[in-house]
Formats: sequence, structure tokens, C-alpha cells
Amino acid sequence: MTDIPSPVAGGPPGPVLAAPAARADRIVKEYGRGDTKVVALNEVSVDLPAGRFTAIMGPSGSGKSTLMHCMAALDSVDSGRVFIGDVDLTRLDDKRLTRLRRDRIGFVFQAFNLVPTLTALENITLPLDIAGRKPDQAWLDTVIDTIGLRDRLTHRPGELSGGQQQRVACARALVGRPEIIFADEPTGNLDSRSGTEVLSFLRNAVREMGQTVVMVTHDPVAAAYSDLVLFLADGRLVDEMSDPTAEKVLERMKGFELPGVGVR
Amino acid sequence: MLKVTVRNLVAHKVRLALTAFAVVLGVAFVAGTLVFTDTMSRQFDQLFSKTGKDVAVQVRPKKVVEAEEGAAAPTVPASLLPAIGRVPGVARVHGGVGGFAAVVGKNGKVVGGSGAPQLGVDWNPADKDFPMKAGRGPVGPGEVAIDDRTAAKSGLRVGDRTRIVVQGPPQTVTVVGIVDSGNLMGATITAFDQRTAQRLLLKPGRFSDITVAARKGVSETALRDRIQRVLPSSDYEAITGTKMRDENKSEVGRIMSFIRTFLLVFAVISIFVGAFIIFNTFSMLVAQRSRELALLRAVGASRRQVTRAVLGEAIGVGFVGSTVGLGAGVGLALLLRQLFNAIGAEFDGGLTFTYKPVLWSYAVGMVVTVVAAYFPARRAAKIPPVAAMRDDVAMPQRSLRIRVVIGSLVTAAGAVLAGLGLGGSGLAWLGIGLGLVFLGVAMLAPVIARPVVKVLGAAYPRVFRTPGRLAKQNALRNPRRTAATASALMIGLALVSGINVMSASAKASISRQVDKSFAADYIVSATARVFSPAEPAQAVRAVPGVEQVTALYSGRFTVGSKAETFAATERPDDLKRAARLSLVSGSAELGGDGLLVDEPTAASAHLQVGSTIGVRFPDGKTASVRVAGVYAKNPLVGSRVLALPAYLAHTDRPTGNGLMINVTKSDAATKRGIEKALSAYPDLKVQDQSDVKKSVQQGVDQFVTLLTVLLALSIVIAALGIINTLALSVIERTREIGLLRAIGTSRRQTRRMIRLESVLIALFGAVLGIGIGVVFGIGVQRAVSDQGVNVLSVPVPTLVGYVVLAAVIGVLAALWPAWRASRMDVLKAIAFE
Repeated sequence: MTDIPSPVAGGPPGPVLAAPAARADRIVKEYGRGDTKVVALNEVSVDLPAGRFTAIMGPSGSGKSTLMHCMAALDSVDSGRVFIGDVDLTRLDDKRLTRLRRDRIGFVFQAFNLVPTLTALENITLPLDIAGRKPDQAWLDTVIDTIGLRDRLTHRPGELSGGQQQRVACARALVGRPEIIFADEPTGNLDSRSGTEVLSFLRNAVREMGQTVVMVTHDPVAAAYSDLVLFLADGRLVDEMSDPTAEKVLERMKGFELPGVGVR
Repeated sequence: MLKVTVRNLVAHKVRLALTAFAVVLGVAFVAGTLVFTDTMSRQFDQLFSKTGKDVAVQVRPKKVVEAEEGAAAPTVPASLLPAIGRVPGVARVHGGVGGFAAVVGKNGKVVGGSGAPQLGVDWNPADKDFPMKAGRGPVGPGEVAIDDRTAAKSGLRVGDRTRIVVQGPPQTVTVVGIVDSGNLMGATITAFDQRTAQRLLLKPGRFSDITVAARKGVSETALRDRIQRVLPSSDYEAITGTKMRDENKSEVGRIMSFIRTFLLVFAVISIFVGAFIIFNTFSMLVAQRSRELALLRAVGASRRQVTRAVLGEAIGVGFVGSTVGLGAGVGLALLLRQLFNAIGAEFDGGLTFTYKPVLWSYAVGMVVTVVAAYFPARRAAKIPPVAAMRDDVAMPQRSLRIRVVIGSLVTAAGAVLAGLGLGGSGLAWLGIGLGLVFLGVAMLAPVIARPVVKVLGAAYPRVFRTPGRLAKQNALRNPRRTAATASALMIGLALVSGINVMSASAKASISRQVDKSFAADYIVSATARVFSPAEPAQAVRAVPGVEQVTALYSGRFTVGSKAETFAATERPDDLKRAARLSLVSGSAELGGDGLLVDEPTAASAHLQVGSTIGVRFPDGKTASVRVAGVYAKNPLVGSRVLALPAYLAHTDRPTGNGLMINVTKSDAATKRGIEKALSAYPDLKVQDQSDVKKSVQQGVDQFVTLLTVLLALSIVIAALGIINTLALSVIERTREIGLLRAIGTSRRQTRRMIRLESVLIALFGAVLGIGIGVVFGIGVQRAVSDQGVNVLSVPVPTLVGYVVLAAVIGVLAALWPAWRASRMDVLKAIAFE
């Protein structure tokens, strides 16, 4: 078993100049065949900058989730190439992809983020335990303090609120110092107050810890927390927006919601 | 609602197929047993319908005491023949002779004998039952006719000389005829002329029975009544030919029904285990579908309809399982026939099919499935309609506290019943009691599961790291499910380990008994169990170095209404050396009517030296015997020793089961000398102390192996149950496994996690089962300790072996579910609907 060569975790300092943390090169993803064929991604090329908080937006069926799955080594592409750092995912087998996800990527999903039989702390250290690595205690403490759940570490997920569960999931994503964290609608199941907590936490991870975070969302308010918004429609990258605000994003989104465009 | 049932059956094909498979195995066992025993019965019926079909009336001695197996049965005197012949309506009268005679084949070995009888008979030229195939009927001493199958097996042909083993000196004879006997199911027939048969098999002037053929138009009953009137004493009775044939058949029927019951016991165990699995599978399916069932309730389905929809699925599963099981049962019957043929029974022709196996297969398969699914179905109906709107639906669960109370009560009731069964109230009680214990423990198992699994899995997180920790947590997560799955394994292992404790104790007891009471250097015994010991004893006495030969005869008499076995020997005093007989009071000088009894017998019948008791012998005569001495309990000799003259006076052919030989020096040369002296008796074997131990222990081992093989099916079914539970758990945990995979758990780690959970469940079942089995084994040993099994021995290495076996079963059962889990599509698993 060979380890995938890992560049310095966390990426180089300096906000924009660095090489992208992940990159898609003309990727195509299709589902079904014949009449039922759907092109989810149509030659999408995108750079996800390191040390930044990127949001991917688009109406339902625009391919935003598929793009994230493909870039996060969860799904394969039909053509084109995907890079995490300088590793070409399309050339890795399942075993290497698994190791890559384990060692270099963090995940936060919309729901069902935690293993119900493990305590909050055990859930946080799960990726490290799976890898057989010891957590860096100081870093672990920092992360735990940041999510503010030190007094609930021995609780099982069933005993935590939805927002608390999502914060534990964020901590889990952070604790291994991955090169990039993918978050799939992380606030989709939360009330607005819990959502704000989680989004602030993600933004702080980028600002203060230099993390790279990529988030898929359809909520303009959530997107406003990011540094850069990528807009997807009909499987293509159609626009991007730096330093977004909720109003600007909403305005831009309305353009896609016109009848016949982007909505299945 | 029927549509819902059907759709669900189709949607859960694999899971239901596994469940149906549990039904299949149990039903196949039942169907196979029934088809096989029907086939056997028919073959015997055919055999017996051929024999004695011309007999209108049979005259025979009244049975007072059932003779010991293989020993000479009482006889009728030849002097009755003329009087019966003069009765009006009698066409022919014939004195029949039957006894033990075995043919020695070309290879010097005795033909047949493993269970099937080796019959010696008289040659009746008027008998058309068995036509002559080659040669002629025997005339005068030194000639025999044998049946064609025996001829084929022995390699003998008309004109060949061979030896015939009888209860007496072996006879050298010429085969003069071969009869076409048809299929005798492994029995052998040797026919002598009437006078020779009487001399060799019974006693001159005696017959086993007298059979009468009627003149045309005379009814069997009328003839029987006329003959009954001419019989001189109440010692003999006349019965109709029909009754004789029926009795022959019912004797076979009794053996058949014993075999059937024996096999069905194991079939019932398999079904019982299967019921656990059906129950568990339906519980899990219902839990997984609780949202859907709640939706049905929300749109207006009544509780009854929901229950019925689930039960409908059970009926479907039961029907399919029973049908396939019936088919598999036919295959099993073929296998059983082969097995019995391999050990000497000779079945030919096809299987016999009646409606009975079909009826029972469906009845058993469907009733068990529906009963096992009833409780989950009822629980399904209790899901509140509002659950359809909720994300996380919990099945309504009754508190474990009620379970503990009920489970404890059931276990206690079962233990009491099993205890009563052991105490002598009958095996049925024992079976029901054990069944209740299993049910009770299965009910308690969810409570026991938590601590036991915690201990069993204590090393998991350390040894197997994260997959180990997850596996342990998963096994603990739903204790009811873990418990129900483990309970299925528990039953088979409890029975197997109970039997092992019993057999180890039996072997240890035998070993100790042999050490304690076996004082002879060699003993001689017969393959046909009983033989006439006088002549062989004489032959051995002549061997140099032999000091003392004690021939042990055995017989029966009744005391009051109870039949008792006794031993007899020429010089009872010799028993002091040969069998370590130690007299407590009186003397071993028995004279003509003396009796020795052991202490327990003396105590229970209030006997002491000088008491007299009246006994009745198998020949119908009564006698008064005098207690000459009391000896300490002696398993080799038994509980009574009768004066030899008294025994000889009441038996036509004295038989026994052993010679005990004491020598000056026990060495190979002496043994060879003894064997040489006995070379004329091919059915006798010489054994020293360790040979005896070994052969008895081998017998025990063979029986244990047979039982274990029969119980293995229930263990296979239990393994299916583990597969089912794990597969359903994997489906249930799709998201969780997907998450684990997404954050970097490798396929191998995923597989290991499932496998470890499986092993943990299996080990839990093994610990429960072996625990119950050992307790049960000890209970049985205590209960029968006064019948000879007085040493308790727990075969720890074997039991540890079963624990290892359980772990292996766990690994194997997890193969498929683990593979499925590792191949799970990560994206589908984490996609949110």
C-alpha cells in the first residue's frame, strides 16, 4: 500500500495567488441512456482556490451536487479529469480514492453525518481512527473549542440538536486538517439560527485556520458567507461572483429561475 | 391490501428467500422422514405379506416373559401335532422351527448381522413362499439351503461346503439349495431339514410354532376355536393366520414408528430454530417498513388490515418454503435410503408417496411461518399513523422489564418440566420443558446480551481498532435483534453440548466401571450378542496358562408382574475373582434353587439371606427360589445371580453374553492361544480390558456423531439466520455505511466491521447455548447417575471447539452481507431523499 504523496496540509499562505486546491478539467457526467439520457455535467472546467470559501449554486438539476461529488472523489466522471492538488482522481482505483478521501478531504453532508453508535468525540476523531492515526491533541482542542461543544463530547448524536450535530460534523471534517472540505447543503436541515452557527464556523475555519471549503447550496443567505460563488445551470458553469451578498446572489439566481431555463 | 402484500413479497425477494430457506430446511426434514419411513414400511409390508400367506391358524406358546433379545424363545411340544392334525377342517399341519443361524462366507466372515436378523429355519417342502432357485431342499444333518442374497454376499454356490454359526458348536455343512427369497432387507436365511433344525436351533421334540392350513370353505376363526379346544394347557394359544400376519406387521410398524419419531424429533428442533429466524426477519422487515405501514394507517387502513397484510406475506413465504421443502424432502429421503443401505439394510425400488408428507409439509411450514410472523404483524399494527410524517420512526417496543418477568417465568417453568421429565415422567415432558427453557432464555437474551456482548467484545476496539469498536457497538445497538439471532444458534449448540457432556460422562463412567469391576484378563463376546457359552468355555479351558473360565449365562423371569434379568454361572464362587463380586452376607453356594441379589435389590424388595421368592420363567413354569446371599452392587454381573440348574431347567437353549477368562500371565501368546482355541467360532471375539473400554466408547461416540449430524441442520439454519439479520442490518444502515465509506473507511475495513459483528453475535449464541447445554448435561447425568453414569465429565476441549466453530460460522455467515456492505454505492447511501 503506497501513500499518496501529500503536499503541505492547509495550503500555502497568501489568499489568492496559490495553485487551486482542486481542479476540474472539462468533465462530463451523464446518467441513463437513450431517451432518458441526462447530461448532468457538460464539459465543466473549474478551479477551486485554496484557502478560500467557495459556494456552488444553481437551481435543482443544475448539476451542482454532481459536480461536488465528482470533485470530492465520491463519484466518477465519464470524461475529463479531476485533480485534488496535483493528483488526478480519474486514474485512481477505489482503494486509493478511499485513502485520498480519508487523508485529504473532509465532508459535511446535509443529513446523517454522524455514526449513531459513537459519541460526539468518537465521531470527530473517526477519520483519524480509521486511518490509525493519533489526533494532534492541541489541534483537536482548538477545533473542539471552536465548535463550542466541549461539555457534550460524551453524548451520542441522538442526544444532540440538529445544529449541534452539524457542528460535530464540521469538527470531524476539520480535525484531520484536510486539504479541502466539501459541504453538501450543510444547513439544509437546520433552522436559521443553527444554520448561521454552522456557516460562521465554516467561514472562520477559512479565515482563521486557512482551510479550503467548498459548499453546495441553493440558499443565497448561505452563499453570502463565501468568498466566491460559482453558478451552475444545465450542467454548465455559467457565472461567478466574488464577495457576494445575499441580495446580489438572489438577484443573479432569479435569472436562472426563468421558465424553461435550468428548471427540469 | 392484497396488492400491498404481493408488492412487498416481490420487493423483498432476497430477504424473504432467505427466510423461506429456513422453512425449506425444516420442512424438508419432516417430509424426508415421512417419505423415507413410508417407503421402509411398504417394503416390510411386502416382505411380510409374502410370508405365511397360507397359514389359517398358528399355535404358539403364550408369552409370559418377553425373552431377552437373541435368546431362545419358549417352544411348543411336537406331541401336539397329531391331535391338531385330527381337528376337522385341517388340511395340513406343520411344526415350524426358527432360531439363530448365521452363514460363514468364503472369506471366513459371518454374513449379515448389523441389525437385521440371521434366521435359521426348517425346510418345509410344502411351503410355496420361497421357491427354489437352484439345487434342492436340505435332507439330513450337514445340508442347508440359503437365500439367494446371502449366497451372493457369501460367494457360496450349490455344492460348496461352509460353516454355520448357531448357538452351540458351529456346524460344517454343504449348501445344497438356494431359494429365491426376494428382498429380505438385509436378513439372512439358513434352512435345515426339520429334525436338524430342531436339534440345532431349539431342542429335539420342540417347535417354535405349529401352523395349520385350512380346508376349502373353513374359516380361520372357526378353525382357531376348534383347535383351541384340543390344546392341552393354557400355556399354548391358537390365533388366526390374519392375526399372526398383522402382529408381524405391527412389530415392524413399532420399529418404523420409533425410527420416525426419532428423526421427527430432530425435524421439530430444526423447525423450532427456523421459527426464531422467521420471527426475527419479519420483525426487522416490519421495523424497516414502519413508515410505509404508518402511511397505510394514515390513509385509512385499519389495524387489522395492516396485521393481515403482514400475515399475508408470511403465508406466501410459508407456501413457497413448504413447496420447495417438500421437494427437498424427497431428495433427503433418497439420501436416507442410501445411508441405511450403506449400513446393511437393502432397499430397492422407488420411494413410496402418500398424501401424508404433502399434508404435513404444508401444515408445518405454513403454520410455523404464520405463528412466528404473528407477533411482528401485531406490532406493525400498533405503529401510530402520525409516524408517517416523522423522519425517525421507532417501532413501538414493549419494555424489557415485562420481558424479563415473562422470560424468567417461562424459563423456570421449562426447567421444572424438564426436571420432571428427567425424574421419570416421560421424555415428552423433557422435550416440552427444554423447549420452554429455550423460549424463556431467548426472551431473557436481550437483557443478557448487553453485559455478555460487552465482555465478549471487550478486546475488539483494542485488537481491531475502529472497525472493532463499531462492530461491538452495532452488536449492542439492538439487543433484541442480536438476541433473537443468537438464540437460533443457541438451541443447536445447547443440545450438542448437552449431549457431549452426557457422552463424556458416560464414557468416563464406563471407564471407571470397567476398571472397578473388570477383574478378568480377557472376555469373550459374540457379534450376535448372545451365544451358547458352554462349548467355547470348554475349548478355552484347555489353553495353557488359562486358570479360570467363567461362562456367564443370562435369562429372565418375572417377580410379581415385573420382568427381571438374571445371570447364572456354573460356579458362582468364581465370580469373586472374575467380576470382583463381593458378598455382604450369605454364601455363593447356590445349590439347585439359590439366588444371589445385590444390595439395592435386597433393600427395595426387603430380602435377606433365607427369604424365598416366587418367580415365573419364560416357559410359563413357576418356581420358588431361596436367597442364598447378598452382594455389593456390581454392574458387570447385574442385580441377580441364579443357580445354574434352576436356569437350565427352564430354558431350551441356554445362552449367555460372555466368557470371563483369568490367566496366569496376560501376554500376546496367551491371547493368541485363546483366539486359536476359538477359531471354530467365527462370531466370537476376545478382548482385554482396554479393548472392551474402547469398543464401548466407540459405540457411544458413534451415537453422539449420529446425533450431532442430525443437529447440524439446526445449526445451518441458525447460520442462515445470522446471514439474514446481517443482510437486513446492512440495508438498514445504508446511510451510515455510506458515510463511513465517504470519510475514508476502506472496503476491507467495512467488511471487517460486519464480520466482527457477526462473530460477536455467533459467540453470544455459543456462550448461551453451551451454558444451557452444560447445565442440562449435568442435570441429566445427575438424574441417571444411579443407572451407571455416576461420573460427571465436562469435555472442555470439545466445548471450546464449539466456541471456535461458532466464530467460524460467524465469519462464514458474514461473507455475503459484508461483501454487500463493502460494495455499497457511496453516493446512493448519502443522497438525501
